[in-house]
Amino acid sequence: MSNPLADMEKPDVIFCIGTNMTEAHPVAATRLKKALARGAKLIVADPRRIRLAEMADLYLPIRVGSDTALLLGMAHVIVREDLIDREFIATRTEGYERLVDHLQEKTPEWAESISGVPAAAIEKAAILYGSSDKAAIYYTLGITEHICGVENVQSLCNLALLSGNIGREGTGINPMRGQNNIQGAGDSGALPNNYVGFQPVTEPANQAKFERAYGRKIDLEKGITKVTALEQCGDTIHAMLIDGENTVVSDPDQEHCIHALKSLEHFVVIDIFLTETAELADVVLPATSWAETDGHFTNTERRIQRVRKAVEPPGEAKPDWWIIGQLAQRMGMAGFDYDSPVPIFNELCELSPIYYGIDWELADSGQYHWPIPYRGHPGTPRLHENEFINGRGKFSFTEYRDPAETIDDEYPLWLTTGRRLESYHTRTQTGRSAGLNELLPEEMLEVHPADVARFGLRDGGWAKVSSRRGAVEVRVKATRRSPQGTVFASFAFANVPINALTGSGYDPITHTAELKVCPVQVEPVVEEALVAAD
Amino acid sequence: MTKDILMNKTASSSAFSEQRRIQHFKTTRTICGYCGVGCALDLVTRDNRIIAVHPAFDGPANEGALCVKGQFAYDYVHHADRLTYPLVRGADGQLRRATWDAALERAAQGFLDVMQKHGRHAAYGVASGRTPSEANYMMQKFIRVGFGTNYIDNCSRA
Ligand code: SF4
Repeated sequence: MSNPLADMEKPDVIFCIGTNMTEAHPVAATRLKKALARGAKLIVADPRRIRLAEMADLYLPIRVGSDTALLLGMAHVIVREDLIDREFIATRTEGYERLVDHLQEKTPEWAESISGVPAAAIEKAAILYGSSDKAAIYYTLGITEHICGVENVQSLCNLALLSGNIGREGTGINPMRGQNNIQGAGDSGALPNNYVGFQPVTEPANQAKFERAYGRKIDLEKGITKVTALEQCGDTIHAMLIDGENTVVSDPDQEHCIHALKSLEHFVVIDIFLTETAELADVVLPATSWAETDGHFTNTERRIQRVRKAVEPPGEAKPDWWIIGQLAQRMGMAGFDYDSPVPIFNELCELSPIYYGIDWELADSGQYHWPIPYRGHPGTPRLHENEFINGRGKFSFTEYRDPAETIDDEYPLWLTTGRRLESYHTRTQTGRSAGLNELLPEEMLEVHPADVARFGLRDGGWAKVSSRRGAVEVRVKATRRSPQGTVFASFAFANVPINALTGSGYDPITHTAELKVCPVQVEPVVEEALVAAD
Repeated sequence: MTKDILMNKTASSSAFSEQRRIQHFKTTRTICGYCGVGCALDLVTRDNRIIAVHPAFDGPANEGALCVKGQFAYDYVHHADRLTYPLVRGADGQLRRATWDAALERAAQGFLDVMQKHGRHAAYGVASGRTPSEANYMMQKFIRVGFGTNYIDNCSRA
């Protein structure tokens, strides 16, 4: 996020797109509610009439996967209505003239023809956002889990740059990070293109720096992404170490994923449960859980916070850092004999330009947002205040692209996926919490009542959902939360593996899977057959 | 709510055991392990078990708020399904209990064998979005130092 969570209470206009914040980030949503109570206006763009949509002053019911078109249409209106921030554009951005040309044809009517959102509503949204002095954008995976995830984000940046809504309190472009430490995983260098602190591996100076630190020359070429690695299992990739990820349930195209992991010669998993993924491993190493370990998480606002051990681990379970260190030493690697997480974190900070100003002791207060470039620096709650990291903010000339697969006669419905409040990701943890299991015992396919009738389904009955990759059976819930023509399910339940259906494509730049869009067909399951099969 | 339950419990005990009970409570300030908001909370523990979660009113991200997951979904920590010893796949294809020594040896040897047979670019590491940064840092260092490659990623793409 460019701005701290506290800024969520400050905007005059809030534009939420592709985020089911009240369910996926509930505590952040309470801050947003405070802004609304203060009189802020809320615009929500989402294919589903989610709770957030019901709270909105203006709801844009967008067709799944058409975000870029909607955002280009809004940018067109901001320019046409002269709602731009001239001084900001002149001093902080580049490419404005070209953007104006690029937006010429991207009228709200054009955007309506693709997104299904009425042109008048697009105009209203653009005017509301563009004329506000303090407008903030919030988004989640509904923007990034598409083959055009990068274009979606760039199109959002255009809106903020045009109207100067960045680098100040109550503004900004704010992706809400999903998992508790997904930000920290990237910060720590667990990326194929960057060392710790987002230092590119392709930069010879960085290669030299890490050769000095690690005592080994590391490739100047980027590594491959996890998506590519899974594709190449059994081909060029023959050994894998996975720490704490239930890949088999969380990743798209489940059959392909299981096949990939089974074709490895050597597969090691570190986890706290024998997950569907761990069951495929040659060696499973038991790790400590979150309550049994010391370390740090970095949250969605780039705040570095201390995690503290409260109980002893069960049996022989060990901290992840210890397990990996032992493995490395047994392979003959030097520089891995740590006796606690303290020197590990201090080494991380020393090698990272964005954590350089802190260490284990200083981080204890939880007050620092990175970057903290030097000792004594107070940290950076708000990014881009006086300048962008790479000089000027660049406008992007994005184009709308269709999703990897589009609906047709055979697969006439859009399936979109997401999270639910009561469960978390693949439920290896929440599924083992007695209370939460009662709140959400099974998955339901949310279908508009008209589609329930059209496809011969029954509210509470069973349906078979199929895509070009697989089929699953799931109970039907008739609801107007789903628009006509679009159905929704979460990927939380291993017994309803929705990701057996998804996986039609990936963003070519980030390799993020298009989990948000998948054409499907649905048909009723004859209930007698189901009983007999039981 | 949690507090009430505790009070009822202690009210029915004798003054002596109440005192002992209180002495055995421990609170630990930590951060919720579920989503990226990063709510601060206090884990209340007794006899090595978590018995309650209290939201931290001075938590910078949450200022005293927690959602149902942060507030209640901690009993997985003590679930009977937790892995409590290493497992190694035997010749018969079954995963079996092993000592740490044997499991680490097998894990290490497997990577060395693959590297010798197929080269440095045949191994890959996937770090977690759930574990602390120290674990992620170790994962990337393991791949970079062990193989000299950048064949490391985390689970943010799916
Ligand atoms: S309590 Fe809820 S909102 Fe807060 S970090 Fe945990 S999961 Fe996220």
